[in-house]
Amino acid sequence: MSTVSAALTDSATMLRRQVRHMLRYPSLILMFAGIPVIFLLLFVYVFGAMLGAGLGGPVGGRADYANYVAPGILLMTVASAAQGTTISVVTDMTTGIVARFRTMAIARVSVLTGHVLGSLVQAMASVAIVLVAALLVGFEPTAGFGDWIAAAGLLVMISFALTWLCVALGMVSDNPATASNLPLPLMILPMMGSGFVPTDSMPAGLRWFAEYQPFTPFIDTVRGLLMGTPIGNSAMYAAGWCVLIALAGYLWAKKLYNREPKA
Amino acid sequence: MTTISPSRALRHSMLMAGRTAAKSVKNPAVLVELVIQPLVMLVLFSLVLGGAISGGDSDAYTRQLVPGLMVYSALLVSVGTGVALSTDITKGVFDRFRSMPIARSAPLVGTVVGDLFRYTACIVLTLGFGYLFGFRVTTGVVPMLLDLVLMIGFSFSLCWISVWVGMLAGKPETVQGYLFILIMPISFGSTIFVQSSTLPGWLAAWTDINPVSLLSEVNRGLLTGGPVGGPLLGALAWMAGFVVVFYPLAMAAYKRRMR
Repeated sequence: MSTVSAALTDSATMLRRQVRHMLRYPSLILMFAGIPVIFLLLFVYVFGAMLGAGLGGPVGGRADYANYVAPGILLMTVASAAQGTTISVVTDMTTGIVARFRTMAIARVSVLTGHVLGSLVQAMASVAIVLVAALLVGFEPTAGFGDWIAAAGLLVMISFALTWLCVALGMVSDNPATASNLPLPLMILPMMGSGFVPTDSMPAGLRWFAEYQPFTPFIDTVRGLLMGTPIGNSAMYAAGWCVLIALAGYLWAKKLYNREPKA
Repeated sequence: MTTISPSRALRHSMLMAGRTAAKSVKNPAVLVELVIQPLVMLVLFSLVLGGAISGGDSDAYTRQLVPGLMVYSALLVSVGTGVALSTDITKGVFDRFRSMPIARSAPLVGTVVGDLFRYTACIVLTLGFGYLFGFRVTTGVVPMLLDLVLMIGFSFSLCWISVWVGMLAGKPETVQGYLFILIMPISFGSTIFVQSSTLPGWLAAWTDINPVSLLSEVNRGLLTGGPVGGPLLGALAWMAGFVVVFYPLAMAAYKRRMR
């Protein structure tokens, strides 16, 4: 068996392990979807009328705002699921199971790949739950079949990139408490971008940050695909950020994993 | 069994209060929490969302927001009382106190009184950060001090709910979880962040009688001018209700836990 096919087989085994965990603890998916759903309800029902009026749409109220905020909430869901990966990685690293895997004749990268692929499944399940909640509170996407496929593909790409970063963050952490705090900025970035309000409503310094951080092109592209708003260069920037984050996360995680374990 | 006079019980409670205050000062996590929470909320709502919520006039929104955030900060800090008590009990600190010749109520009363330091610091810090974001008290020093006293009273009445949950829940993390479930609807279903006229009917009906809304309105009146009488009576009624209902429940739960 070639090295590549062995790595693929081992990764599939590790993915199966992650899926088993997921099926055993389905509450995890609900937990990852829970925070974004709370934010969705909060922003649509509490802030929706005021923020919707500021968007200047044809309705100019809660209905408009539900359409505006839903893509940002979907990105928050992806970030929330990635945060879960950090915790599961640090748990594996500290409970000794990884030390056991190191002694086995399996591809080293497969342990991490299993986490990443498992997290992708978890993220997409969470996104599906949040999407249903968004539709129930008044989100009315205008996307055609092709747009839906493109939006799903982009969400998978973003999830893949953020998950590799979170795997590395999990390996840097000493315990689950630290691991749950390290990726918190990923949950906040959609709010500090175009997720909840247009960036041009922000003060100058903050607007500059919001326009150049990765979540703004992510959100603008997903919003464009689902709602038919102009995308411009956002898709290109989103793809670029995905590649950059995924590559940095992968190389960092691999380097940390290949270090000799502390005695 | 040794009978302890009220004056000695008071002295024991004050010693315990000193312990709680010292823990707050020495624990960097507590200080960071006191500073970070109001700052994050101000950045988020004043800078990030303020322009869009207020239709461009974020200064006007900051004037409305800061008095409400003082209430929100007090709500968040009240969680710490229940968590601290639960932590002490779980770690066996209270078992140690039980073996000492001190009033049985001293550790509980001491924790509550000592936490007034945290409440005061939190309220003052929120107001101070508000100043950095452009908020100004326009009514004078006396109304501001009255407002501070009222806010500390509100925190004191709230902390009995926190104590009660802290006594009932098994672990400190559980206490935090339960209290956040309680805090979310009463803080966001209020006039801290938006006016009730912009909310859906069913939510606006609750918002108008919500203690957090009433106290936010009192704060706005005392700090920037406006009606105080009606909301103040409502807020005082809620505060009295919290103490009347939750003080006995908290004490009963404490006695059960200390058996």
